[in-house]
Amino acid sequence: MSGFASYLVFFLIVASIYGVMVLGLNLQWGYTGLFNAGVVGFYAIGAYGTAILAGPEREALVGGFGLPYPLALLGGMAATGVAALVVGLATLRLRAEYLAIATFGTAIGVQLVAVNFERLTGGVNGLIGLTRPGFAWFGTPGAYNLFFLGVMAVLVAAVFLALEAAVRSPWGRLLKAVREDETAARSLGKNIARLRLQAFVLGSIPIGLAGGLYVGFIGYVSPLDFLPILTFQVWAMLIVGGSGNNAGALLGAVGVWALWTMSGLAISRLVPVAWQSQAGAIQVLLIGLLIVVVLLVRPQGLLGERATVSREAE
Amino acid sequence: MTRSLCLALIAGSVLAGSAGLASAQTGCTHNIGAVLSITGSMAAIGSAIGDAAALAVEHMNAAGGAAGCQINFILRDDQGAPNVGIDAAKTLVEIERVPVLLGAIQSGVSMPILTSVAVPAKVTQISCCSSAPAFTALAREGGTQGYWFRTLPTSLPQGVVMATLGREKGYGRTAIIHVNSDYGVSMARAFKEAFEALGGTVTAVVPYNQEQASYRAEVNAALQGEPDSLFLVAFPADGATALREWIAFGGPTRLLLSNALRADEFVRSVGAEYLADAAGIDNAQIAGPSVDALNAAWAARFGAAPNGPGLHTMYDAAAVALLAMEKAGAADGTAIRDAIREITGGAGTEVFPGPEGFARAKELIAAGQPVRYVGATGPIAFDANGDVTGPLLIWGVAADGSLTVGDYWSNERVAEAVAAVNPG
Amino acid sequence: MLQALADGFLSGAIIALGAIGLTLTMGILRFANFAHAELITWGAYMALAVLALTGTFAGPWSPLSFGLPLVAAAAAGAAATVVLALAVDRLVYRPLRSRAAGHMTLVFASFGVSLVVRMLVLIAFGGAATYYSHSLQIAVRVAPGLRILPDQMFVLGLTLVLVLGLHLFLSRSRMGLAMRALAEDPELTAIHGIDPARVVGWTWAIGAALAAVAGVLYGLTIQLRPEIGFHLILPLFAAAILGGVGNVWGAVVGGFVVGLAESLSVLFIPPGYKPAVPFLILIAVLALRPTGLFAGTSSAGGHR
Repeated sequence: MSGFASYLVFFLIVASIYGVMVLGLNLQWGYTGLFNAGVVGFYAIGAYGTAILAGPEREALVGGFGLPYPLALLGGMAATGVAALVVGLATLRLRAEYLAIATFGTAIGVQLVAVNFERLTGGVNGLIGLTRPGFAWFGTPGAYNLFFLGVMAVLVAAVFLALEAAVRSPWGRLLKAVREDETAARSLGKNIARLRLQAFVLGSIPIGLAGGLYVGFIGYVSPLDFLPILTFQVWAMLIVGGSGNNAGALLGAVGVWALWTMSGLAISRLVPVAWQSQAGAIQVLLIGLLIVVVLLVRPQGLLGERATVSREAE
Repeated sequence: MTRSLCLALIAGSVLAGSAGLASAQTGCTHNIGAVLSITGSMAAIGSAIGDAAALAVEHMNAAGGAAGCQINFILRDDQGAPNVGIDAAKTLVEIERVPVLLGAIQSGVSMPILTSVAVPAKVTQISCCSSAPAFTALAREGGTQGYWFRTLPTSLPQGVVMATLGREKGYGRTAIIHVNSDYGVSMARAFKEAFEALGGTVTAVVPYNQEQASYRAEVNAALQGEPDSLFLVAFPADGATALREWIAFGGPTRLLLSNALRADEFVRSVGAEYLADAAGIDNAQIAGPSVDALNAAWAARFGAAPNGPGLHTMYDAAAVALLAMEKAGAADGTAIRDAIREITGGAGTEVFPGPEGFARAKELIAAGQPVRYVGATGPIAFDANGDVTGPLLIWGVAADGSLTVGDYWSNERVAEAVAAVNPG
Repeated sequence: MLQALADGFLSGAIIALGAIGLTLTMGILRFANFAHAELITWGAYMALAVLALTGTFAGPWSPLSFGLPLVAAAAAGAAATVVLALAVDRLVYRPLRSRAAGHMTLVFASFGVSLVVRMLVLIAFGGAATYYSHSLQIAVRVAPGLRILPDQMFVLGLTLVLVLGLHLFLSRSRMGLAMRALAEDPELTAIHGIDPARVVGWTWAIGAALAAVAGVLYGLTIQLRPEIGFHLILPLFAAAILGGVGNVWGAVVGGFVVGLAESLSVLFIPPGYKPAVPFLILIAVLALRPTGLFAGTSSAGGHR
């Protein structure tokens, strides 16, 4: 494989991991109007859950159960779902912004546990030596990455189709109805809090899955993987692609991540080293501006909500 | 493409029987890359570390380049985040075709780069700054395949020497405040074990998380138990904040400071008047031509003394990479990995930092003579896991705020101190 | 123990000043403003910029570590922060309100605004910690095991003065009464004879000015860094919700409770977990008493 192709495969793997995460977020925000301000926390729960279940046994660590990777992945997803259930139960019957505040706090809490609870998470050293699933079957890293990309394609398609089916079902149409007009939906006698809780938990599970996949691909996990900036990046992916549009969510993941990495490359080539720290901060600033401007100018995202879904909701 | 051009040029010159003159060829370049935190939580120290690598490349180019070509240095920012760091490393390896990666700073970034980029692509990775014991463990398990090196000594000898020094100064009850990172945790652990083995009492071990707004609670916790001294393991910015609060709230100014605090910024923020009783540690040769060579070159280039964490170790990381590339005669990760063993340690002729030193090294290598790089941190020797052992120095702060150099701990003396507390 | 109590009151005072503005915007403008904490950072740095321009840190009022220049800089910083808050409202929140966007869209927008403000500060001032003065004030030993900086007494005193002043404004002036009525009763959409846009303007101005003062006090007793606001987001929300959304006195009490809880927690849990304390308070309040400690304001929780 040529260098560029090899990099492209690598890039697409990472972007599709983010794509899975954005799909989950889209169910929460795009279809239900729930603002998850701590995406990175749920991502981290999935990642650590998977790493602890799949990792090799180590002295001085609680985890390291050595489960097969697919089982560990399911475990990580389950852990994320349970965390979302707890946060949702505490807040979703209240004002909607309480969920935002609580999820923001969840992300900080998870980060603290990752850093401080050394016996479980390896602390700041992280968890090393996680086996990359199926690595032994392949002669070269290039072939392995192609295989991993294939797995990712299957998983992205599965999550995509499952979510599409969900939002087109009567349940999904109800979600949109609640988002559009809460009073009307309530007058139909629907239990709105429960509906929101279901959507929130269901949307968190792909986010946890993405965390587990990241761990599988990198073979290592540490608290540094879950900096708050990631939450903003994932939100930018969703809002660029268009909330309420699953294909747009995927496109946003690839597009924003490409922009992010390419601007990093451009900065390293064009900007003198002395100015690079400013340039890096401007990169982050643009993410914030992007969110604000899209909300102001095109709240439906760049691609916008698909007409078909809206029609069905009527 | 540039690489194949280089290879063609080299091949051509070998055929012409003039391999030694290959460096005189112009127009070809080898890339080498670094992944460092130019932004993010390590930004305060990152760009100066990048300067150190660039300086080594400049020196090598002034001496005629390496492996027949001029060297092009590419610095990528990891933003203090592993996902950005691995992407940057992957571009360097696949698109820029670098045979060597320098960096990263934080272990949490270096580790995923190593496992998911460097080792699979057979690219040698040399870090200036990542001190986690996890790398040693991974190397022992065979996970690094020898592609991992780091030019800073692991925390253990530094912790032991500081503990020994503290006991020599008569400190009996010491509190430890350390940054909650791989670096801080392992340094604090080594210090505590040694200090207690030497008959001292550690009254409290308080970790702090980076970039907190205030460390008052941590300082209060460390002040419990009435310590007579403090061992502070921190980076300059957070370290200054914590130490200011420590002093303001009545903590003793008998201080033991970790290597990362040897920075002008730290002294300025705290105030030299409170640092008269401070003793810090760092890895460097106290004097001698190799250290003078770097200090002079740095002053000439940047107009200041190279006081900051990671500068000397980064210069050496880059120098080792480039000399190994010259020795290997090709910009190839595996060849460089193996050549590193040939130009460090051993019994060859000593060569020093700077353009003249590198030119001398190139002459000797061209003549087939063995060389041994004695760098900005003294003589460098990697063990089987890619870790170095090196001499240490004790530094202090003069009344005018300048950093002074005190006691010198040779390799032998460090080994003795380690053996004294850890007979195993 | 004593020391932890004293420190808790100190950080509580700063949280309280920040939480007042947050509770007012949550009550009157009806959205959780994630960017409010960044006003604290902004105010602190604007004061630093003014100090840098005027030059000196001269003439400290002994035993305090500062003098008139810092007070003037704080006033200027507060003014600059009011300008920022009004500008953001004009550019971002007002268009969203007028479009009748869902109020979660405003929450989301504020999330973006917080990042923009933080990065602007980072670009302009750099990421390293800095101080108004490099001279170090040494704490006075007032009792065994208790040391206090003179500046800290000033912080406490100024907080009390500001809160009393605000109380007078809210209970005596026509505008203040209107603000309180709006904040505490979500069913109320307008007060007869008062322009709602002016109420919004006053809300931002008061919240921003108090946040800026909190920022300066923070920088004075601890340090300045671009992440100040980010680390205060959860404590501010916890204080505002604990005190009951829209309730100014509640926010003040909430601020002190959160500050004390954080400070005292270190006696029982490793200091590394301290930043989680506001989150635990928040979850406990939401689970047990979502209307906050001082119920009677109906805007806080329950089904809408």
